[in-house]
Amino acid sequence: MIELRHVSLRYGTREILNDISLTIEDKKVKAILGPSGVGKSTIIKLMLGLIKPTSGQVLVDGVDITHFSEVELFPIRQKMGIVFQGNALFDSMTITENMSFFLRENLNLPEAEIEARVKEQMKFAGLEGFENYLPDSLSGGMRKRVAIGRALIFHPKMILFDEPTAGLDPVSSKKILDLIARLQREIGLGAVIVTHILSDVFAVADSVAVLYQGRIIFNDVPQKLYESTHSFITSFLSNQED
Amino acid sequence: MWKLAQAYSTALEEKLKSIVFSMQDFLFFSLRAFRAIGASKRYWRDVLDQAYICGTESLPILLVSALSIGSLIVIEVGHQLAEFGAKTMTGRSVALSVVREISPLVAGLMLAARVGARNSSELGAMQISEQIDALRAFGTDPIAKLVVPRLVASFLMFIPLIALCDIVGLISGAYLAEWDLHLDRGIYWNSVVDILRPMDWFVGFSKPPVFAIGISLISCYTGFSTTGGTAGVGKSTIKGIVYSSAFVLIMNFYLSKVILDFMRS
Repeated sequence: MIELRHVSLRYGTREILNDISLTIEDKKVKAILGPSGVGKSTIIKLMLGLIKPTSGQVLVDGVDITHFSEVELFPIRQKMGIVFQGNALFDSMTITENMSFFLRENLNLPEAEIEARVKEQMKFAGLEGFENYLPDSLSGGMRKRVAIGRALIFHPKMILFDEPTAGLDPVSSKKILDLIARLQREIGLGAVIVTHILSDVFAVADSVAVLYQGRIIFNDVPQKLYESTHSFITSFLSNQED
Repeated sequence: MWKLAQAYSTALEEKLKSIVFSMQDFLFFSLRAFRAIGASKRYWRDVLDQAYICGTESLPILLVSALSIGSLIVIEVGHQLAEFGAKTMTGRSVALSVVREISPLVAGLMLAARVGARNSSELGAMQISEQIDALRAFGTDPIAKLVVPRLVASFLMFIPLIALCDIVGLISGAYLAEWDLHLDRGIYWNSVVDILRPMDWFVGFSKPPVFAIGISLISCYTGFSTTGGTAGVGKSTIKGIVYSSAFVLIMNFYLSKVILDFMRS
């Protein structure tokens, strides 16, 4: 379980997040919805300890990781996989090397185990036959699936998606959303999905938090969004429906 | 008028603050790099790759620079000496200038441009595409993986590269002295060997390790602190080259000054 307690973040005089409190339960999919540039991706980075909040606490499985060092954060980060918006694949490495890189780096596993894990993820992501391709030679949707495979390679409890369908065509978007739904259904994986696309929320999320001007203005099941009277939510819903 | 002055003063204050914060940040970055230096054992393949990039791949431009260094000194100084009937002193002038000053300086500047630009742009591109965040997120220290191999490789390669520049500079000087000043090669080399003392080599070779550390850390730091998309990569590449070159120019002067003053005292 990941918990943010009264988290605020400022860069100089610029306020990014203001008193955010959120709970992400295991085996559930939580969406964080909001317009671009509102600080949604920052929340994911806070959860991983990639940035520190100005105030407040970040807890993972009840452990306060707010002031953890990089070394202390490693076992925490192994519980979570992340899929970055731009995938963050290493462009000089093949798909297989991208997937196995962090296993080789951080876990002292036998080569057979590494190969088995990579094979498992290649199969799950439907990438068999592309083992020796470089990321640049794949389509956007395939690159996203490689990034998902890489995030799953440590067998995490939770996976964090930063705009998983941004920039993808409708067919590729559907494939990615189906993959996320399968992760929850088949292996009981929890997920956080940061997005500005309403249909993604309704496709996979169990609950949704809406971020606006650095604050959470809604936190409930997606269906209740239509009952909200907040002017931003009503305008957001009507714009997306158009 | 008063409001304008106030606005300028606030802008100046902000600029100064940002300079101080950047310097503090750079200091912490450098300390982290030195603390992680042991990782070079683990990433020895990356060290070799970087040694190839900053060593072997830099050779052509360094050799061209070295050729012109020796030749230019002969053209400028040799002819002046010839006017006073002292062209046999050409070897001495070339030797001292090349070994102590010009060869480390020109090679340092070339390496600042080549290695500095590469580090800043490559790491800057990795920063904006979140590859550096990915390293951290999956439990790899990006400083150990990306900065330490570059630092160690430069440290190992700069001394032999500058030694090679010295040799090529002296040889090109010998050929040009013979061709342009009709100075016998034996006389040239005699005066070179005669003038060069161990301390002169020490002055020359004290510079490459300092340049290696400075250029690597500055260019890696500018790469790591890249923001603002592809335009940001361009800016950090320029910063990497400019700051590294300024470092080379300043350190070249101070190292020569301090060591030569110490020798004379």
